[in-house]
Amino acid sequence: MPVGPVESLSREEIRLLQMERLQVTLNRAFLNVDFYRKRLDELDLLPEDIRTLEDLRRLPFTTRQDLAEHYPYGLFAVPLKSIVRLKITNSVLRDRGQPIVVGFTRHDVGMWQSLMKRLYEQLGVMDRDIVQVAFNFSLFPGAFTFNHAAEAIGATLAPSATISARLQLQIMQDFRSTVLATTGAFALHIVETMETELIDPHHLHLRLVLLGPDPLPAATRNRLEDGLGAPVYGLYGVNEMVEPGMAGECPEKAGMHLAEDQFLAEIVHPVTGQPVAPGHEGELVLTTLTAEGYPLIRYRTGDVTVLQEARCGCGRTLARLSPIHRRTDNRLSIRGIPFYPEEIENLLRELDPVLDDFRLVITTCHGIGDQLELLLLRESTRDFPGGSRSQYLEAIRSHLRRVLGLGVRVSLTDRERMPGEGLIYKTVFRSAEPFCPA
Amino acid sequence: MLQVKSLSARYGPIQVLRRITLHVDPGEIVAFIGANGAGKSTLLRTLSGLHRPSEGEILFEGEPIHRSQPDRIVRLGLVQVPEARQLFPNMTVRENIELGGYVHGRKHVEAQLASIFDLFPPLAARPGQKAGSLSGGEQQMLSIARALMARPRLLVLDEPSMGLAPLVVEEIYRTIEALHAQGTTVLLVEQNAMGALAMAQRAYVLESGRIVLSGDAAELMDHDDVQRAYLGKEYRHKWER
Repeated sequence: MPVGPVESLSREEIRLLQMERLQVTLNRAFLNVDFYRKRLDELDLLPEDIRTLEDLRRLPFTTRQDLAEHYPYGLFAVPLKSIVRLKITNSVLRDRGQPIVVGFTRHDVGMWQSLMKRLYEQLGVMDRDIVQVAFNFSLFPGAFTFNHAAEAIGATLAPSATISARLQLQIMQDFRSTVLATTGAFALHIVETMETELIDPHHLHLRLVLLGPDPLPAATRNRLEDGLGAPVYGLYGVNEMVEPGMAGECPEKAGMHLAEDQFLAEIVHPVTGQPVAPGHEGELVLTTLTAEGYPLIRYRTGDVTVLQEARCGCGRTLARLSPIHRRTDNRLSIRGIPFYPEEIENLLRELDPVLDDFRLVITTCHGIGDQLELLLLRESTRDFPGGSRSQYLEAIRSHLRRVLGLGVRVSLTDRERMPGEGLIYKTVFRSAEPFCPA
Repeated sequence: MLQVKSLSARYGPIQVLRRITLHVDPGEIVAFIGANGAGKSTLLRTLSGLHRPSEGEILFEGEPIHRSQPDRIVRLGLVQVPEARQLFPNMTVRENIELGGYVHGRKHVEAQLASIFDLFPPLAARPGQKAGSLSGGEQQMLSIARALMARPRLLVLDEPSMGLAPLVVEEIYRTIEALHAQGTTVLLVEQNAMGALAMAQRAYVLESGRIVLSGDAAELMDHDDVQRAYLGKEYRHKWER
């Protein structure tokens, strides 16, 4: 597996390249985006005053809230004419609330694809591979990048999207797929199906499995590697930038190599915002280095990780992110579909203004959110909006299904039986083990 | 090969370069494009030691040269072909070429002369002609030939296409490409953006003393910003933002 020139630069060379590209990002953001210009003006800074990483820390963070407040085009750095792709993130927010839209120029799309290509190549995927891509493309539009990059390296692409696990397995056998790209949850489902259908992993031809966009607990990885008979690798991306493609594991499985030629990473303390000591855990903050359409400066990803700068066993010098198992906000995920409890709350309050309280009960299997149950608490004396009790529950159920793309069990509860909140707002986790399928 | 870090330059109160950072790798052709007054020529004059930077560093092959004298910089192998040729019009072609090699001594000049004439047949045909009586294209060639006498490792060209007919420009570009093929690294400044981008591998776009775009030359050729700035296309779409 060849190591590209960018992937083997010395730390000093990477830093120089980053500072050179940062200058362009800052100049363009300052000249073209009012939001960033105002921020620099308030600090009485010009873009050329940021010469080092330490200088960059003088700029405030950009948050998800900033992106939402400047919807739709407030943070675009080029006219819409130069944008070739829009990514409207978080379909949950389609109806109400705060959507985010990211624009990509031709350069940005090419850059994104080349990063995914790099991730394939660092795992040794090549033109003779048959790449099966099983994602829900409407919920995770970034998944198209798996397709584009596979075609770009000349591999044979078999996009199998959301067909059933049984059909996926049929394709896998008929076409001898060597690479499977999917979500952790769906991969587990495929393994379960193999067990019920009595399909031996030796009958598959998988060389490797790529999982995204959710992080992968170690136990899940082990189970999948046993079940599919192939090594399983994790990916990392940021929905508001590039996902997937930003970082991914190499065969060493010693962290995910970050595309530092395209993104400048800082690790900060989630509360104070101060940089943590090298090698310590903190929130990942990223600055785009060549993104033209939607430059982001010091964007807080909400992902908690460790950045390791030491050279990897594979020979690459790009820093590695440790797997992300924690976030600084309340983002939850069920079978790869991300949402925030606060958003669900907004939806519920709109449907039922007199709702007292609620809980989200997430059933996990092998560390991955598998099912969502909603417990509602309201005073029994009040009338149900929308008619009877069952009509009311059905209305909420169908509304949630529409915005989340996910079936949710909805029931009423009373104060005594209502579970206490866990660490995450209004949310309780329950492990289904040992009752997980198979 | 060349690493420029946070370089600023000013003429009196006027800041021309605003902490620009760039690099040139060995074997590359890198183009610098930008409108009049963007700071392109100032950058080259600063690289060659003709203008003192007010701030920043220039490393050539790892050696800091931002405080070096111009002749020292030439001897290290960073050689500039100046804007508008700057020949000695009353001297002959041969004398002009010889002057280019004087930093390396007379022996070197004699040894190099033949190979330089080989590269430029039109000059070889008229070594005794006064430089001032050559055509524009021939003068540009002579200017490049003179620079080559200094054994450049990095050849820096300031607007080599200026004032030349399109066919002559093509010939000059072919010469530059031939030199590059022989292993010379080239840094080139041009207002003729499309011509420079067609030849270069990488490019930087300079605007009011700042680098506002950089990247692969082929990609920049189709870039909307470059098209807007240099071909005046699509200005009416600007309000869309």
